[in-house]
Amino acid sequence: MGLKILTVDDSKTIRMIVKKAFRPYDVQIVEGENGVEGLALAAKEKPDLIILDITMPVMNGAEMLAKMKEEPELKSIPVIMLTAEAGKDNVMKIVQMGVKDYMVKPFKGEQLIERVTNILPLSEKKADAPTEEEGGSKYFSLDGDIQMLAVPAKILRPTIVEVETQLKPKLKEMTSGGIKKMILDLTKIKETNVSLIKLIITILDNSQMAGVKVLTVAGATLGKELKDFQETGNIPIHFSVDEAKAAF
Amino acid sequence: MELAAFDLPTFLRGATQEVFDTMLSMDLSEQPSRDLCGTSRIVGSVSLAGKISGTINIHVTDPFAHHITANMLGMELDEIDSDEEVHDVIGELSNMIGGDLKSRLCDAGFTCELSIPSITSGKDFCIESRGWAVNERVYFQYQEHIALIEAFIKNGG
Repeated sequence: MGLKILTVDDSKTIRMIVKKAFRPYDVQIVEGENGVEGLALAAKEKPDLIILDITMPVMNGAEMLAKMKEEPELKSIPVIMLTAEAGKDNVMKIVQMGVKDYMVKPFKGEQLIERVTNILPLSEKKADAPTEEEGGSKYFSLDGDIQMLAVPAKILRPTIVEVETQLKPKLKEMTSGGIKKMILDLTKIKETNVSLIKLIITILDNSQMAGVKVLTVAGATLGKELKDFQETGNIPIHFSVDEAKAAF
Repeated sequence: MELAAFDLPTFLRGATQEVFDTMLSMDLSEQPSRDLCGTSRIVGSVSLAGKISGTINIHVTDPFAHHITANMLGMELDEIDSDEEVHDVIGELSNMIGGDLKSRLCDAGFTCELSIPSITSGKDFCIESRGWAVNERVYFQYQEHIALIEAFIKNGG
């Protein structure tokens, strides 16, 4: 059975970022908008972990935590505090509240996952469990003995997080299943940016470490643009998936 | 330390660029000042109160605000349901930039508290602030989009 995590934040944006970070994992996310809702949900849902914002209307995170510590049933639930303030005094105050950890905004989804895994063992969703709509392995597909990784047209931060989070377990699954070839399909990409370059490097580095050979496919324009970046200038580009398959 | 010695220009630029890079993978470039008063835009504001008082405003044009929202929430532009989503995202950005600045001020001995963000939207409006000890305005560009980040701080509340 999966874990249950309660995220309490007045910002829907942050709650969505938290939800997306946990998509690849067998985790149920419960959401509250302020400390009052958070307390009620903590009592009702008995989450395995709470990700708690400090600055909220109605009841802030510090007040909610203080009330939790008075409740025998809630006081041992681990809490990771989110704060936009990294100042020494604020950090000291948070540590003294008795939280397990804290994160300063801005943060990346993978940083949050890293902090959570120090507290709770997260297990990935089974390969066939998530639907595409739920953010499952929509980028990966198997074509014979070649793993295809198709990067979507637009590289957004959540996309990067999803691909990066799914990459390592996918490489592990591939190597244990004897799959040693991957095609990185960039043909849908419409815009080259630093995030795309970083993503390509991450994919290539991780694949190399796993002993998986990756061939990159891109359109003519993107292929030329990638040549102009120092980091990707030496990557051989194939101009169609068939051409890449033939090159293995 | 005197408030005038607080390196607001460096901290404001650093906080803004870090937030946009970490949360949005957007590499902002600084631009010369320009007049945004007649431009339809959304302004996220947070206030500081304590040993100092101040305000931090983030102005983004409407198209940029939608672009930021879509990016932050991982959706297409036409999937944005309401202004509420856009306002929440811009509010959260101002909270993060304001939070960073507040931390730097507190570490420098100017203890203060940070307000919850508020949003102003519309066009044909200007924000004029006077009587501050230190203030900074920085214009940034991302692709064709423009953002203005401004901070005004004075002693006491």
